Amino acid sequence: MAEIRKPRALATQAAGKAGRFGRANLAATLRAKEEGKKVAYAYINNAQDEIIRAMDIVPAWGENFAGVCSAKRDAERFLQKAESENFSRSLCTYATCTIGFDMWREELGGEMPPNTPWGGMGRPDMIIGSAQQLCDPRIKWPQATRHYLQDVPVWMGTMYYPPWDPAGDHREQEELYVKYATEELRSLVRFCEKHTGRKMDWDRLDATVELTDRTWDFFIDSYELRKTIPTPMDTGDAMNTMVPLTFNLGTQEALDFYKELYAELKEKIAHRKGVAEDEKYRLVWGAGLPSWFALGDFQYFNEKGAVFPVEVTYRNAEKIERLDLPETRDPLEHIAWRWVRLWTRWFDKARKRPGSLPKVERIIEYMEDYQCDGVVFHSAFSCRSWHAGIIQQEQVLKKVYGDVPTLIMEGDIVDISSYNEVDTRNRIDAFIETLAARKGRR
Amino acid sequence: MAEAQSGGLAAAEKHYSDYGERARGLKSSGKKIIGYLSALCPVEILTAAGVVPVRLKGNVSEAITKADAHVETMVCPFVRNVFDAALKGKYAYLDGIVLPHQCDSIDRTYDVWSYGLEFPYWHFINYPHVTDDPSIEFTREILRIFIGTLEKFTGRRITDGDLAGAVSAHNENRRAMRSLYDLRKEEVPRISGAEMMKVLVAAMSLPVDESTALIRGVTDEVKGRAPGSRAKTARIMLVGDQIDDVALVNAIEGTGAFLVMDDLSTGSKMYWADVDATPDPVQGIVDRYLKKLKFPTTFVAEGSTYSENLEARFGYLRQYLKDFKVDGTILFIYKYCDPYGFEVPAVKSFIESAGTPVLYIEDEYSTSSLGRVKTRIEAFLEMIA
Amino acid sequence: MQDMGQGDYFAGVDIGSTMTKVVLLGGGKEFSLVGPTGPEHRKLANRVMEEALGLAGIAFSEVTCVVATGYGRINVPFADRQVTEITCHAKGLSSLLPSARTVIDIGGQDCKGIRIENGKVVDFVMNDKCAAGTGRFLEIIAEALGVPLSQMGELSLTAVKPAVISNTCTVFAEQEVISQLSNGESVPNLLAGIHQAIATRIHAMAGKLKIAPDIAITGGGAKNAGLVRALETRFGRPALVPREPLLTGALGAALMGQEIYEKAVRAGSTLARKPRKLGEASFF
Repeated sequence: MAEIRKPRALATQAAGKAGRFGRANLAATLRAKEEGKKVAYAYINNAQDEIIRAMDIVPAWGENFAGVCSAKRDAERFLQKAESENFSRSLCTYATCTIGFDMWREELGGEMPPNTPWGGMGRPDMIIGSAQQLCDPRIKWPQATRHYLQDVPVWMGTMYYPPWDPAGDHREQEELYVKYATEELRSLVRFCEKHTGRKMDWDRLDATVELTDRTWDFFIDSYELRKTIPTPMDTGDAMNTMVPLTFNLGTQEALDFYKELYAELKEKIAHRKGVAEDEKYRLVWGAGLPSWFALGDFQYFNEKGAVFPVEVTYRNAEKIERLDLPETRDPLEHIAWRWVRLWTRWFDKARKRPGSLPKVERIIEYMEDYQCDGVVFHSAFSCRSWHAGIIQQEQVLKKVYGDVPTLIMEGDIVDISSYNEVDTRNRIDAFIETLAARKGRR
Repeated sequence: MAEAQSGGLAAAEKHYSDYGERARGLKSSGKKIIGYLSALCPVEILTAAGVVPVRLKGNVSEAITKADAHVETMVCPFVRNVFDAALKGKYAYLDGIVLPHQCDSIDRTYDVWSYGLEFPYWHFINYPHVTDDPSIEFTREILRIFIGTLEKFTGRRITDGDLAGAVSAHNENRRAMRSLYDLRKEEVPRISGAEMMKVLVAAMSLPVDESTALIRGVTDEVKGRAPGSRAKTARIMLVGDQIDDVALVNAIEGTGAFLVMDDLSTGSKMYWADVDATPDPVQGIVDRYLKKLKFPTTFVAEGSTYSENLEARFGYLRQYLKDFKVDGTILFIYKYCDPYGFEVPAVKSFIESAGTPVLYIEDEYSTSSLGRVKTRIEAFLEMIA
Repeated sequence: MQDMGQGDYFAGVDIGSTMTKVVLLGGGKEFSLVGPTGPEHRKLANRVMEEALGLAGIAFSEVTCVVATGYGRINVPFADRQVTEITCHAKGLSSLLPSARTVIDIGGQDCKGIRIENGKVVDFVMNDKCAAGTGRFLEIIAEALGVPLSQMGELSLTAVKPAVISNTCTVFAEQEVISQLSNGESVPNLLAGIHQAIATRIHAMAGKLKIAPDIAITGGGAKNAGLVRALETRFGRPALVPREPLLTGALGAALMGQEIYEKAVRAGSTLARKPRKLGEASFF
């Protein structure tokens, strides 16, 4: 597909390197067979990275592949393939894009469709799903894929956390959820052992868990440098720098990446190099997966002096010490505690502020810590999991915290046919004017 | 257990047209009424608690006007419509609402419901999506937590005896409904699909014993009808989630076809599969709702090959096709529904290979596009004639 | 037994969203008429029918069976039967082009794909929710570019390099076209791009059928040479187009009427019909 605009300029070198992780990940799936390794279709933020990496299973991330197709504006042909099988266009487009690709690859007897972005994904030996509390499509996606790859076994387990209840205390249920999650992870280990023909090396798993803990720490440490004014990095870059945390967690390379990012940001801060030439407005990216085909919109914000020092999206980590995790010798139990504590992180704050919500508390915390003037949300139509509830977040934020300038943009993660650049830019312009008026009043 | 066969189709019509009418009456005589979404809700527990469970529905003929200010339009159109109805005060008589974790559209809007509507009682049943042993154990605990909140709300203990009694009553209710369904196996069914829809909707708004009595009343009335003599036309099965209005059924039967069977969350999913009487009653309840019920939102892992797995997931549909002598199936799936949407290719090809053509329609929970839907249904019926 | 038709004439009335078509078959002849549907289609159906009868020189009572089809088929009070346009287009097209097994009908407000085996419909798919892929889309673009609708096809074939239109939503596509026009893109290139975009949408819709040759294109869209060419490129094979693409539905309806009548005769019964009068619909 023809590139209609020049690619978005990146503020950091690290962000530029992140693309290599994505390419390398895909290439690894294509080489795996000859290297004697197993390929697993896998999905992000399922707390399964350590198990997968400790067993030398090569993950193939549909969510990354679809994001790349989207960024290259070459997703439509795969979406149409899925549509021809009666997958509705209203479904998660990460899934339908990847399933369309899988169908096509099968029809070609394992060969890649012509000019598949970044060489495509290797055919999996297994599919590791998760019925976690974050996203329904990822419960159905593995099963739907199996209809076209019928010999590929599918694993599905749960990763739950206590639901938010303003009148309750989630700690009363923590142990129930941690016990359950731990057993589910154990079941995954058995599945991996069965389909790799190898036993889990528990020492290696221990070491991998420690590695991921430290990666989380470095990730947060580097991101917190963005509190500086002017901010050295914004969400446009973060949509690249999230790649190692999201797709390479459990590898030394991912840890090293965030050490490098930390150093680079420190350097930029030392030279007072910000993302925008003239930083006027600091914004929280409050919720929503970005339109991968329109990351240039961040540059549009930057040109108007608006920067995003902090985002909620793809920042699914926290400094380990803040989670106050109970001691345990069992690495799986440690992962389970980390999971439950991460996803209930803002429950206490929300309970202390009547009428609030945990997701809103997170936004408020970021607004204060990163000294932001407003919040932008992106509502992607094919993703209920992360976008249903944004209207309420905006309302509750204003109700409990004050009349903060907010903007809700609309589009999709992969399906460009719904995107209107003119309309989007108009909305951004109007929002900037609101911000300007607010600042003028102070 | 009620003895009198109170009312038949006339009573069903009344409860269908003025939905919740009986619940409102019971409310004013001091009963507590709890609304719920989804066939996943363990109604036995609500009955055991002494409250009246009422299945929530929207209105396909009514446009959504208030909900859009609170809920995104890419949320399940059914969930949005029900929430809209609640915002408009249609459920003002409720004392509370129970929402099971069936899908994202419910899970992601639960806070919108509970923050936006003023009811004293709210509960979110955090069902898992898988059915392995740890999940069964987890769900037992989840249901115990649910029972605890009901005890607190009603101020009285729910004993194992209460639960066992409720299980028995609801099993009885299901048996009664299955007997009514049996009449649809006739060559010329004496109860139409439209009448059946009204009975299903009426039944889900009544306390269990009254529901059973109504169903029995209808069954007796239908058995008393003279045998049908219409020329044989297509026998149709309708597959989908919550369909709770005759509009679609009339579109199917309007050309002379019979709607003889369904796999709907308002229909056979409510009434097939009983709860086993287990020493711990909660165990039997968990088994039914997680393992026996087949929902797209519950992952079925059984089978060592893909075709065995398909059989575990959809085999019961083949049985329906056979038992009810189905000529064609209509798969009616709401837009923006990931759980059903991702299954369409698999379930469509399963039913087709079981020997029945399938019409797949994607639509909203609304009659606004009924004309278009009718054309497709009619073309399908012309095609299979 | 009501007024049975004396001659063996069969009428098909196809009330589409934009055009009403009537076909009369009988006495070894075929008469046809096309008129605008207009907003009051229930009032105009009988007028078009009267005109057609006039053309054929026969009285209404001589018509043995009237079958109505199309979007407005329920508003034809003098019809003996209603049959969907899917079945009728398949029937009509099959009689004209017996080798066609995949039919694409591009109408004013909807488009359909129909699979035919041995003259019978075996599968179908419709897009009637969104304008992309229908005549309406073409109308909007024609307006935006200031090109008469009837010339769009021919003009698009003179394109040097089709423009890329990424939006499938009609409203956005219109904006995109205007934007590219003001950036200097040529009208033929834009038209070619639009035809490609429509062909892509139609091909995606038809992808749900197991496409089998021969492919035939009918409906108003079939009169657009540029669209036919774009579809042939998308499908990767030449497509057949009937002589009168607007009439296949009405023709099919008339043939259905004949089939229904002959079936009744073979079964030894008379055609069950309620009494009919050629008049306006008095209610809606």
